[in-house]
Amino acid sequence: MTEKKIKDTTLRLVRGDIAAMEVDAFVFYARPDLQLGSGFGTAITQRGGPAVKKELEKLGPVATGSAVVTAAGEMKCKRIIHAVGPRFQEEDEERKLREVMRASLKKAEEGGVKTLAFPPMGTGFYGITLDLCRKVMLDELRRHLEGPTALREVSIVVKDSREQTPFEEAFKSL
Amino acid sequence: MSDATRSHKAKKFLERLPKKLSRQIVGSLVGCVHCGMCTQSCHYMLSNPEDPTFAPAHKADQLRKIFKRHIDWTGRVFPWWVSAKSVFTDSELEDLKDIAFGKCTNCRRCTFNCPMGVDFASANRTLRGLLVHVGVMPEGVAVVSKDQWEIGNQMGVLKEDYIETLEWMSDELSGELGDAGARIPIDVKNAAVVYSINPREVKYDPRSISDAAKIFWAARENWCMPSECWDMTNFGLFSGDDDLGGAAGRRLFEKVMELKGRKLVISECGHGYRSTRCEAQNWAGQSFPVDMESSVITMLRYIKEGRIKVDKAKNKESYTFHDSCNNARSCGLTEEPRELLNLVAPDFREMHPNRAENYCCTGGGGAMSMSEYTPRRLKSAKIKAEQLKATGATVVVTSCHNCVDGLSDLIKHYKLDMKVTQLVNLVAEALVIPAKVAAPAAGKVLALAGRTIMVVDDEPDALTFFSALLADHGARTIPVSDPNEVLKAARKEKPDLITLDISMPGKDGGEVLCELRKNPETEAIKVCVITGRPELRKLIYDRTVRPPEGYLDKPVDEAKLLTNVRKILELAHEDVPVES
Ligand code: SF4
Ligand code: SF4
Repeated sequence: MTEKKIKDTTLRLVRGDIAAMEVDAFVFYARPDLQLGSGFGTAITQRGGPAVKKELEKLGPVATGSAVVTAAGEMKCKRIIHAVGPRFQEEDEERKLREVMRASLKKAEEGGVKTLAFPPMGTGFYGITLDLCRKVMLDELRRHLEGPTALREVSIVVKDSREQTPFEEAFKSL
Repeated sequence: MSDATRSHKAKKFLERLPKKLSRQIVGSLVGCVHCGMCTQSCHYMLSNPEDPTFAPAHKADQLRKIFKRHIDWTGRVFPWWVSAKSVFTDSELEDLKDIAFGKCTNCRRCTFNCPMGVDFASANRTLRGLLVHVGVMPEGVAVVSKDQWEIGNQMGVLKEDYIETLEWMSDELSGELGDAGARIPIDVKNAAVVYSINPREVKYDPRSISDAAKIFWAARENWCMPSECWDMTNFGLFSGDDDLGGAAGRRLFEKVMELKGRKLVISECGHGYRSTRCEAQNWAGQSFPVDMESSVITMLRYIKEGRIKVDKAKNKESYTFHDSCNNARSCGLTEEPRELLNLVAPDFREMHPNRAENYCCTGGGGAMSMSEYTPRRLKSAKIKAEQLKATGATVVVTSCHNCVDGLSDLIKHYKLDMKVTQLVNLVAEALVIPAKVAAPAAGKVLALAGRTIMVVDDEPDALTFFSALLADHGARTIPVSDPNEVLKAARKEKPDLITLDISMPGKDGGEVLCELRKNPETEAIKVCVITGRPELRKLIYDRTVRPPEGYLDKPVDEAKLLTNVRKILELAHEDVPVES
């Protein structure tokens, strides 16, 4: 595990299953219609039960760059931040990715979240490159954590070495 | 249309194009002389002779035109002469999607018959990759790709469900063999064999896992299955996404290395074998020191080395063998499966054409996940149906899970009286195992005691058969013949499980499943779909609602029904004899 302290908050790089973590909230990279779909959406549907989907029905659709919060049903975490980021090379990718990071952190602060987990935002299926992802995520996290925050622990949860290695390198220069 | 009005997606598509063109793809795009020799190779063309848009060269031309316009000098200098054409709109990208995903299974049969060495299947995979890059793909492709990226396997099987299935299969196996040690070892370090599977086996065909376990047990193999990163399939091959292909392969290889496994054995799956054995390291841009083998070769080795004994007389039907396109055309795995089949079954009938010339099962290239093309897929299967029928065999054997599904669908559609099985099932069936000590005759604790199962079927015979069978094993059964009554009855009775027929007059079983899933009182009820129809794939892949917990193909026999019902209900044991 790699970690860095930014003022009072610990920023960690963790390998594991984000949808099985015991945190106050984790971020789910969502679609504008807020349908859970497959991937981590499968995990939320199966582990969380029907409550999450029901709550989402009243919240969507939302614009890219924004985020909404739901309870997490029977999952180990308490809440889920559904963050709608850019997908498949859409225009203004970097700006939208920064926006959605900020929107997620804002929602976390509003909910008094102390422990928060992020996936590598938008990489993999949605095609954000790991290079852009780590740059934007670490920039935005550092900027946010250097200001006033209730967050005590923020984890970036990677699934495999393909994601872990570039983030590990980026942590070194934090 | 002009460059200025080109859609954002079309721009991104074109920006990506030069980066995805390998020398082999360029060769295929410039090499075609339109001789037409490939036309009769393609199962789409053979089953739709009136429609030239299915011809391989015509399909290839759609990408070729763009290549000529933007890459090749001829199209940049004389676009009118070489029919060069650009792409401008999202709707043109949709047209390309229809060809790339809906009119080709990437089976490579045309490649084998082209005198110019044009590999259209690889060019088509490139086209798919370009479309996926900008988010243009069938819904099923999106669902499966995202599951593989994020959950780590194509069917979104969560770790706890996978482990539970392995433990359940272990309990079954040790019960059946009367050996408490006959279990599936998980994450054993330094094992001689690390066995990797297709998620379809966990979800819908657990018997293929227990059959493999039985063979490893009989061979006294030091083997294990990984607790994570166990999926040897790779949707990157189908979607054209090399990043996914590399990521999926890397996870599997690194797990084997972490376990210090001496050999990775890949269960019977054509695209899984091709991806893992031949392609994944290229996609990952890295080589991994992992020794790999198809389970077909492993099983054959066990018999030849005398590690397992088989009695071929136990497999009593007549068998033919279907070569999966990926195994035969791309990996040359043609003789070993035949040798093995001849060792475990007495009546083998060759299919014609065969080996590298065999026709696609029509479910390749990810076609099973693309329900919008199902009618086209089944129509294109006509030639395959004729080929199967001509063998006169009652069972078609194949070494590919994808082919099992493709063949099962077409067998039903064309009403052929055939079953589909895999070599692992035949080898397990033929195993000679020392007889178990007979259990004392006594009363029984029935396996389904205390469970309520609702049986939904409009055919009176089927309704009586399923209800009586489940009741014989202790279940309280509620037969329902009218699909319109299911929701009401389910709300009232709260069954543990519903077995649901798909084709019923008045209301389709798929609609009934949606109703059940959308109602808060019934959404948690487990459902096992029983069907003879390919519409089922839509329920599995499109996931508008949670997919059924199990499915069974008709005709259903007692053993199949009970195994699946007990798996879904997470009941580990068969009826257990007790002292009276
Ligand atoms: S056989 Fe080869 S050269 Fe002839 S039309 Fe087909 S792809 Fe073109
Ligand atoms: S790869 Fe197969 S399906 Fe595709 S055009 Fe060639 S023969 Fe037809």
